[in-house]
Amino acid sequence: MKRRNFLKTICAASAVAAVTTPSMVLAKEAKPKGANALSYDAAVKAITGGKAVTKSDKVSLTVPEIAENGAVVPVKVNVESPMTETDYVKAIHILTTKNGNARSADVMLTPMNGKGYFATRIKLGGTQDIVALVEMSDGSFLKASKSVKVTIGGCG
Amino acid sequence: MEIDRRDFLQIASALGLVGAAGGTNLFAGEAAKEKIKKLSFSDVVDFKAKGKATILHFCDLHAHLKPLYWREPSTLISAKNLVGTPGFICGESFQKYYGIQAGSLDAYFDTYNDFTELAKKFGKMGGIAHMKPIIDHVKKERGAKNVILLDSGDTWQGTAVALKTKGEAIVDAQNYLGVDVMVGHWEFTYGKERVHELIGKLKGDFISQNVIDNDPFSDDFEELIFPPYTIKEIGGAKIGIIGQSFPFTSTANPKKFTEGWSFALRHESLQKYVDMLRKEKKVDCVVVLSHDGFSVDQELAKKVKGVDFILSGHTHDPSPEPIVVNDTVIIISGSHGKYISRLDLDIKDKKVVDYSFKLMPVASHLIPADKAGEALIAKWYKPFEKELNEVLGTTKGLLYKRDTFYSTFDSLIGMAIKDEMKCDINFNPGYRWGTTVLPGDPITKDNVYEMTAITYPEVYTFDLKGEVIYKLMEDIADNVFNANPLLQQGGDMSRITGASYSIKISAPSGKRISDFMIGGKPIDMKKTYRVSSWGGNLQNVGENLDEKAIRPVYEVVSDYIRRQKVIDIPMESNVKVLDMDCGCPVKGATCS
Repeated sequence: MKRRNFLKTICAASAVAAVTTPSMVLAKEAKPKGANALSYDAAVKAITGGKAVTKSDKVSLTVPEIAENGAVVPVKVNVESPMTETDYVKAIHILTTKNGNARSADVMLTPMNGKGYFATRIKLGGTQDIVALVEMSDGSFLKASKSVKVTIGGCG
Repeated sequence: MEIDRRDFLQIASALGLVGAAGGTNLFAGEAAKEKIKKLSFSDVVDFKAKGKATILHFCDLHAHLKPLYWREPSTLISAKNLVGTPGFICGESFQKYYGIQAGSLDAYFDTYNDFTELAKKFGKMGGIAHMKPIIDHVKKERGAKNVILLDSGDTWQGTAVALKTKGEAIVDAQNYLGVDVMVGHWEFTYGKERVHELIGKLKGDFISQNVIDNDPFSDDFEELIFPPYTIKEIGGAKIGIIGQSFPFTSTANPKKFTEGWSFALRHESLQKYVDMLRKEKKVDCVVVLSHDGFSVDQELAKKVKGVDFILSGHTHDPSPEPIVVNDTVIIISGSHGKYISRLDLDIKDKKVVDYSFKLMPVASHLIPADKAGEALIAKWYKPFEKELNEVLGTTKGLLYKRDTFYSTFDSLIGMAIKDEMKCDINFNPGYRWGTTVLPGDPITKDNVYEMTAITYPEVYTFDLKGEVIYKLMEDIADNVFNANPLLQQGGDMSRITGASYSIKISAPSGKRISDFMIGGKPIDMKKTYRVSSWGGNLQNVGENLDEKAIRPVYEVVSDYIRRQKVIDIPMESNVKVLDMDCGCPVKGATCS
């Protein structure tokens, strides 16, 4: 079965296989991290250049508690900001803590956008945190994160 | 003398049924039998009325138009923090929690204790022709205009007559009972179009604030599919009723039925509707009609402010007393038509100042059947009578559903599938609906449908690697035993046949299951096993699906019973729980 189909039809099982590895399961069986692989920590560092990131109520992140379909998880990020020339949201980054490539979306904004808002759908390889990492025009970084459960559900 | 709820709980003793010996069998002897007969309809409906408005409630009828036997669980295991709390108590711990007398009518309805013996004494439960006289009685007492009947869903699915009429027979029954408002879950497994058709036939309202359009190309993207709320005036008060359909429908049931609709708890939007009803619509009382599940609703009440009552469903719990979380009163009314709840509201100065509640058992032997209800049942059953009345065989022991890991009727289904499909391991869904067949009784085709009547009955046989099987079990275990009720989905563990395992409930996610044996040998993570399953979506992960072997589960099971003639299923579970010593632990996870 192709990995794509596998993910589509049953996000949960593939996810578990790729991400968590209970001691009983052979580590060798875990999917190799390809050229595209990027860990969460490395992704954050690449974006911030090592600058401090502050957890902030200004960033509101809307995600489901349980994903209806792990292949298309709706994510909404709204950042409280006047969006003026001197004070605006410069970028919204959506990251995941356990996907092979942690970096799901990077969106650059200008005051012309009028709102510090972005919504999309991302693929989740399994139960993990989704992180909204936001760069403000003053160069500071804010974030919010929430856990999303990916499951095969009430199956037989 | 007034009889209140407490007295009713103790009705057996009030009537002098407590034997001098004080043993568990309170009904020994002919004299005691005589006294049981003295219980009557008035004992069922006796109630201390309050105020002017009354809400009647039932949930999870699962299409049972006729009375049935329904045994409550003898195993109801949960995460440790939830053990011993309403929603996770059964048997002895249930009797203790609510002060129920062993051997009483309440014990028969609410617990598994002495089930077979009490079934013979008290008879079948539920049935629309027996529910109706209770509803009529309350409407007569209070005035029909002051009473509404609310239905928390899982109403249209669960029996042959529902499946064969695509839910129509059940909507007819709801109109007969006078359902004013409902929400849904299994309703959605008839597909979007049929759901709308049936709502068109329903005289009441179908409401849900938590189902929205999920198609980004649709003009209605993120718009509501159903009206989110309705307002009813009863007893001179305005009652705002907000609907919560099952938040996990799209993961618990095949997505194809609800493609383009999105389900979730959506407590943020629920809060907005609560505030709007209070401030703009000036309602006197806010009710949430819910299919979230009892424990999820207890969490919901912590997140949402300003809800007076949550009328819950989904998890099938009988709850003789309401649960109060912050200022929200939560009730749930069992399942399968076993109970009708009565909630009287005393509303003064636009506020609920008092209420009274009773879970009324629909004890069919105590309630003379309503003729119109019997005629309705006869009409809908007539075309299918020949097929459904066929006696397939008999059972030696008790056949029941429920329990966290294992039940005898599931085991029978598993054996039937294994016998026909020649698989190594078989998965059966951990639904909480079904039926109970008493020892020595015939098993009819109707009974088999009562366990399996779904719109996706196909049994699939395919290959799965040991590693995948193991991880699936861990995933399912996390949906059942998660310490956070919001991450549970309200079912029981999938049942397996051909395998056994041990489980440590309190272990972290992904590390609960050990000693997993298939065919008597430890599971080989690299080996490919032949797996059969129905009612889920495991086939989507499998390979080498045998297309020719696909057959509806009710036909597979019926053929097996016909071949076997006499069914004898052991009561012992194939799952060992490592950190609980009994099936019905009390708070603190002990069994005393």
